[in-house]
Formats: sequence, C-alpha cells, structure tokens
Amino acid sequence: MLPEPPAPLLRLENVHKRFGRHEVLRGISLDVHEREVVAILGPSGSGKSTLLRCINHLERIDAGRILFEGQPVGYRERNGRLVEAPEREIARIRSRIGMVFQRFNLFPHLTALGNVMEAPVHVLGLPREEARQRAVAVLERVGLGARLDAYPAQLSGGQQQRVAIARALAMQPRLMLFDEATSALDPELVGEVLAVMRDLAAAGMTMVAVTHEMAFAAEAASRIIFIDEGIIQEEAPPDTFFANPGTERARQFLRRVTRP
Amino acid sequence: MPVLAVSWTYIAENFFSEIVLRGVWMTLQLSVIGMALGIALGTLFALARVAHAPPIRALALAYIWFFRGTPLLVQVVFWYFALPQAWPSWAPWDGQLSPVQTGILALAINEGAYMTEIVRAGIQSVDPGQLEAARSLGMTYRLAMRRIILPQALRVIIPPTGNEFIAMLKNSSLVSLISVSELFLVAKLQYSSTLRYFEWLIIASGWYLILTTLGSLFQSWLEYRYGAASYGPSARRRWLAFGARD
Repeated sequence: MLPEPPAPLLRLENVHKRFGRHEVLRGISLDVHEREVVAILGPSGSGKSTLLRCINHLERIDAGRILFEGQPVGYRERNGRLVEAPEREIARIRSRIGMVFQRFNLFPHLTALGNVMEAPVHVLGLPREEARQRAVAVLERVGLGARLDAYPAQLSGGQQQRVAIARALAMQPRLMLFDEATSALDPELVGEVLAVMRDLAAAGMTMVAVTHEMAFAAEAASRIIFIDEGIIQEEAPPDTFFANPGTERARQFLRRVTRP
Repeated sequence: MPVLAVSWTYIAENFFSEIVLRGVWMTLQLSVIGMALGIALGTLFALARVAHAPPIRALALAYIWFFRGTPLLVQVVFWYFALPQAWPSWAPWDGQLSPVQTGILALAINEGAYMTEIVRAGIQSVDPGQLEAARSLGMTYRLAMRRIILPQALRVIIPPTGNEFIAMLKNSSLVSLISVSELFLVAKLQYSSTLRYFEWLIIASGWYLILTTLGSLFQSWLEYRYGAASYGPSARRRWLAFGARD
C-alpha cells in the first residue's frame, strides 16, 4: 500500500458564497499541498477573486469549510455548528497567509521599508532591528534594496507591487495568495513582477494565484484550476490544460484570451 | 448717555493690562482644553459611528443629533443652571464643577459632535483596500485603525479641525454667560463700568484676531507636517506657502 499522502496545507470543502441573491461560489472543493503553485483561471466575474478572498476570510463564506494547516479559517465548530471565530484567531491565521492585491494597497504614509517592517513589528512583535534586517533582506530579494526609503508615490507600479510582495514575505507566510497581481500594471512593468513570482515558485513557496497571464500559468504553475460560474469546471496540469482542455468552456476561454 | 470721544491711547494703555491678559489666558485655556477633549470625544464617537454593531452606531448618531442640533449657548447655560435643578447632586456650585470646568465640559461635548463627523469623514476617505491589506497581514481592526487608517485620515481631518479650533476660540466667549472671566467677559465688565464700548471691543477683537492668527499658523504647520509633504519629497510644499504649490 502507498503511504498516506501528507495533509494538504489548504483544503476547501464545498465552499459557497453569495452576494445578496447572486451566488458567486457554488460549491468549490480544492486541496493545495505544500510547494504547489496553483493558478486559478477563468473569465471575469467567474468568482476567482472572491474565492481567493474567502481563503483568508476577507470574505465570509455561506456554506462549506476552509481549512488551513488543518484548522478551520474564520469559523469554529461548536456543537456541530459553525460560529465566527474570535478576531485574534482569524488575525493569527491571516498572519501566516500572505496576500498580494491587484491594486497593491501599499501604505502610502510609510516608506518601502516602513511598509515591510510594519507587520513584523506590530503583529509578530519582533524587535525593530530584527524586523529591519528581515525587511531589508526581502526588499533586496525583490530587487528593491536601493529604494528602502522611497514612499509608494515615488515608485513605479511594478516597484510598488514588488514592495507589496516583500511586505507579505516579511511575515514568512506558508501560503501566498496573488489576486491578479499584474492586472493593474502597464504592460512593460508586468515582467518584473512575474519574475519575482517565478522566483518564489522556484524557491518552493506554496502559491495560489488568480491570474490572466497565461504564459506565467503555463510555466510556473503545477496545476491549473479553471473556474466559471462559481464552480471548478476543470482541473489539470498546465500542459494538459493548454494543449488539450477537457471542457468546451475552457476551450472557448482559451480561444478568447489567446486570440492575437 | 454721555458720549465719550474714542481714545486710541486708552486702547494702547489697556491692551496689555493684567486683567486683559488674564482674560486672554482664560480664553486660550478654554479653547485648547475644550478642543483637545472635543477631538478625543470626536475620535471615540467616530469609531462608534463606523462600527459594525447597530446600537453603537445609533448611540453616536444620537450624540451628534442632539449636540449639533441645539445652540451651544443653550447647552452652556443648560449644563450650569438647568442640569443641577433636574439633578441636584450634579450641582456645579456645590464645588463639584467650577464654572470654568463646566464651560470646558460644555465646549468639549459640543465640539465632540462636530469632530465626530470630521473624523468619520477622514476614516471613510481612506481606501478600503488599506484595511484589507492591514488585515491580510494579521492586524486586528484596532491595530489597523491605529497604525494604518487614522494616520492617513489625518490628512483629511486636520484642515477642518483647524477651522473648528478657530471657531472654538470665538465660541468660548459664550461661557461668559456662566461668569467665566474670559476675554469677552473682561471686556464686557470694563465697558459696562467705563462706557468705553468702542475701546473695549477693539481690545477684545484685537486679541481674538491675534489668537485666531496664531491658530491659523499652527494649522498650516500641522498640514505641512502631516499632510502631503509627509508622504515624500515629490509632494513637498513649503510651509507658509498659503496653500500654493511651488
């Protein structure tokens, strides 16, 4: 018999989410193991970003379960019913999950260094000097060791997004979520951010990335999840998905996004 | 009524007299302490105003509704004369609260209602993505407010707060009704006995102008310190540029 596979780092069980009467997620189940890079593709409005935001409980879910490191995210089970977890517990889980936003969301009143040091100092309680060293190291890793004292307004979009990645990395997360990290960038700035994401993937970071960059998904992802109308339509390794998609919806989607 | 010739020498002689300076000092104390407490109250109620729990929001709304909807003059007199009637153990004149303390209380609670709306507008001016980013890093709501949201809200909060402080310097004259010897009451007592209305009102107005001018300078310094300039040299403005970009 094969040995039991290791428990997934992240597990989604039949996740449902509705906004008003519109059901955005209609039963998503997904396992993400350590060192996996999962690319989530799908047409806009298909629920990809919502799914990502549910993972770290920026959105509440209406049904189902999300487990991170085996622990339910945002909820506790009490007598078989789910109740909202205390804020501190949710915050503790979030501190172990990095998130990168489409619009960067850097703190404009802090320098690049200040942005990256903020959470290690005030959430993890690291001494300032240690946090500073850690922040300098991650900023160097994303190629911004020379811009430590720049404010976000003084940086290009690509640089800002790299600071945002550094800010998440400084918490030494076990999982990184990317919510269309390159969609708000000018075309010539996309490459530098994707390069950082590729390096992270190559270094073994577990990643879930909602993306429109098909080339990135094809090269860096270990698995493609194709979502449409709130359900996973197709799940496949990138080679299979791009060469030979199994569903008509995926074929249509690929035709649209790869049209010259 | 005898008409006295206007005497500029009289104004000059009395402008820095001890009794006037005491009045100025009292006005300054009333305004600064009233404003500081008003800002604290305003911040507290603004946080209540954006809270999730409906009863807490309702409490903040009721506070604003009442204290912004009735005249400050009425509130000042109410705190000092009416409340002790309805609630004798409160009684300011029994040594629990002096007229000065009651005056500060009245100014602060009134100011808090205005500051609540100013601070709320400041908080809501901050991109919601900022709170999300803070939370995604593991910050609690409190920590995110303190470290991320409120510092950014300051940009929006400071200019109208400067306005409020200048209004407060002048509104503090209303506590003359409960016998606090601030600048206006000093002038009033003097013109009542000397009948030199013109001179004493010029003295009082002169001092109000000096105080409000200092207040404006302080405001522009604050805007310089916490405004756009603190977000990096590219947006730097010169202090005392009177809002003009260089």
